Amino acid sequence: MLGFSVLFRIWGDPAFADRVARLTEKEDAPQELKPEAPAKKEPGRSEALTLLAALQREGRLVDFLMEPVAGFSDAQIGAAVRTVHKDCGAALERFFAIEPLRTEAEGAPVDVPPGYDPAQFRLIGNVSGSAVRGKLAHPGWKATRCDMPEWSGRPEAAFVLAPCEVQV
Amino acid sequence: MPAKYAVGIDLGTTNSALAYANLEQEGKPVELLPIPQIVAPGTLEPRPLLPSFLYLAPSQEAGAYNLPWAENRDYATGEFARGQGADAPTRTVAGAKSWLCNHRVDRRQPILPWNAPEEVAKISPVEASRRYLQHLAAAWNAALPEAPLAEQTVVLTVPASFDASARELTREAALAAGLPENLVLLEEPQAALYAWLAAAGDGWRRDLREGDTLLVCDIGGGTSDFTLIGVASENGEMALKRIAVGNHILVGGDNMDLTLAHLARTAFAEKGVEVDAWQSVALWHACRSAKELLLSGEGPRKQPVTVLGRGKRLIGGTISVDLDREAVCSTLVDGFLPACGIAAKPARQRASGFRELGLPFEADAAITRHLAHFLTQHGVDKESAIRPTRVLFNGGVLKAAALRERLLEVIGSWFDRKNPPRPLEGIHDLDFAVARGAAYYGMAKGGKGVRIRGGTARSYYVGIESAGLAVPGAPRPLRARCVAPFGMEEGTEAEVRGEEIGLVVGEQAHFRFFSSAVRKHDKPGDVLDRWSDDELVETDSMEATLPAAKGEQDGFIPVRFVSRITELGVLELWCVSTVSEEKWKLEFSVREGGEK
Repeated sequence: MLGFSVLFRIWGDPAFADRVARLTEKEDAPQELKPEAPAKKEPGRSEALTLLAALQREGRLVDFLMEPVAGFSDAQIGAAVRTVHKDCGAALERFFAIEPLRTEAEGAPVDVPPGYDPAQFRLIGNVSGSAVRGKLAHPGWKATRCDMPEWSGRPEAAFVLAPCEVQV
Repeated sequence: MPAKYAVGIDLGTTNSALAYANLEQEGKPVELLPIPQIVAPGTLEPRPLLPSFLYLAPSQEAGAYNLPWAENRDYATGEFARGQGADAPTRTVAGAKSWLCNHRVDRRQPILPWNAPEEVAKISPVEASRRYLQHLAAAWNAALPEAPLAEQTVVLTVPASFDASARELTREAALAAGLPENLVLLEEPQAALYAWLAAAGDGWRRDLREGDTLLVCDIGGGTSDFTLIGVASENGEMALKRIAVGNHILVGGDNMDLTLAHLARTAFAEKGVEVDAWQSVALWHACRSAKELLLSGEGPRKQPVTVLGRGKRLIGGTISVDLDREAVCSTLVDGFLPACGIAAKPARQRASGFRELGLPFEADAAITRHLAHFLTQHGVDKESAIRPTRVLFNGGVLKAAALRERLLEVIGSWFDRKNPPRPLEGIHDLDFAVARGAAYYGMAKGGKGVRIRGGTARSYYVGIESAGLAVPGAPRPLRARCVAPFGMEEGTEAEVRGEEIGLVVGEQAHFRFFSSAVRKHDKPGDVLDRWSDDELVETDSMEATLPAAKGEQDGFIPVRFVSRITELGVLELWCVSTVSEEKWKLEFSVREGGEK
């Protein structure tokens, strides 16, 4: 019965589930079968194009960016943006699960370690080179995963971002 | 090899999902299997849900819908197929599951997409279901090649309203898709409750009490389903028993989206904007997301519904209209969940001599009237309806707080306004509860954990023409003999008392077959002379061909019926010779033009 009550708790309590996972990891890790997508093949085309095609398909991003906006009122643009924003945002969330790099609020003090990586810390102002304490101006972003769709079309379609649509 | 996983499969009308639990490592959480599927030609993406849609591609498109486990596919299941439902409706199969329980058509015949033109190679509802299940099975086998699905403990869910023949067809599709022989069929509302029980842990005994009556209210995309489960005490232990299941009601979230789209179209018309066919589809989708926001209870007072321009002129062609939250709420809430009396009955379709043979969509979209009728039908007597004290919501539509509140309020008004039924506590995963609960059930089946008892949700009858003087022009009066009682448990047998029946040797024996969700006290052998349309529903007939056999008397063999519910919940009806040891199993005949 203990086993079952543990199960029940894991179901409802992710933090507890993590703890159990860590507890059992050592002995179980070798024989654990974990479902994963079949070994990924080399992408059939640049994943940048696959991403752009997905954002166009789901959120019409390419249509939006390619359209000259000079002639439209802010209200007209705003109406379109809401939809594009929502749909592209949902796609980004699915592919990358984007989160702020730092959890502190903007303006909070941040310690920059010595030998920091400039890809993770961008120092602004009087940059001395040694470890410093500063104020967070932008928390940064990170992708917590990268699950791109797999493309397997014909080579001549590799650069196609959206098919032409024909009413028949 | 013993099963390593318990797998729960929710084969839904609009979405399917697969959840699994490791049987060898107690304490592992139930997880969802990501399902790789075609999202655009040549583009594969894993998603947690597999939309139950199937696009039958013209031959020149073959190759664009390949999956890691299938080359040269000329059809696609899942996300892309769902989108094609709008762009190429004549080549897209939708709602195959609702067709499975439509007795007016032969479900093994290629009839879908319904009304598709000649050049489309149609498929049968059973075949469509097989393809969805095969997609799930292949996704599983690709992800866990060491543990093939055919060797796992698999639980597949079906609507509680599915009768014996719809279950049989579901099983047929499942076995053809490579699911194991010992596949268990579980009713969806029960699966939803199992998911809750698993999440609540031992706490369920504190939340549900003896004497409680739980209404599982499941409103999905295309269908609504009700089930009542009683909480009793047996030998000092709390026990759950399924008391009643409702009919298959073809009203759901899609109807709400369409209603909202209609509202939006009217608003556009007032602004002088005409919505064309393509925009109507986009509008439907826009209304779906607007509905979720507006009904969530915290959305803005006004929600813009926007249809982006066709072609590459996106901003220039965009049309937008503001929907008022109150107007939307009252349209949807009052339209689909109107206040009504407990004696209310759903309006019937007016009988016209000419009825299209498609799916029997409900004439009355008022879900509360269907619910009132359900509770009254299952009451102790005609005057008193069953009073639910607790409610478990399921189905994506019920994420909307406004709909949940209205349901509770209306049920409260039928019994005691001050004490409306309370929803079960805890967090509910309305999209995946059925798949998760099915996996839990597969795990608990070994004897541990709580089980909901119930047996068959219906009683079953064989139609027998009464002997008597023939009257020209009038069919012989038909009587119905009960062969399986309501609540017959798995693994039991019932002998049907009463007169023997003579079956002709060498000819097909053919029986009309009926079921009832409301006649709970008939015993095997009981004979009904008359019944109302509400009580008995005719389903597919049953048949068997008897070879020449011992004990033949002038070409007849006297037989009795014996009914059996297998351990896997399959109803079997046998003709047992009364003069020899022989017996013959009757099979469902789902062919068109069976004697009905």
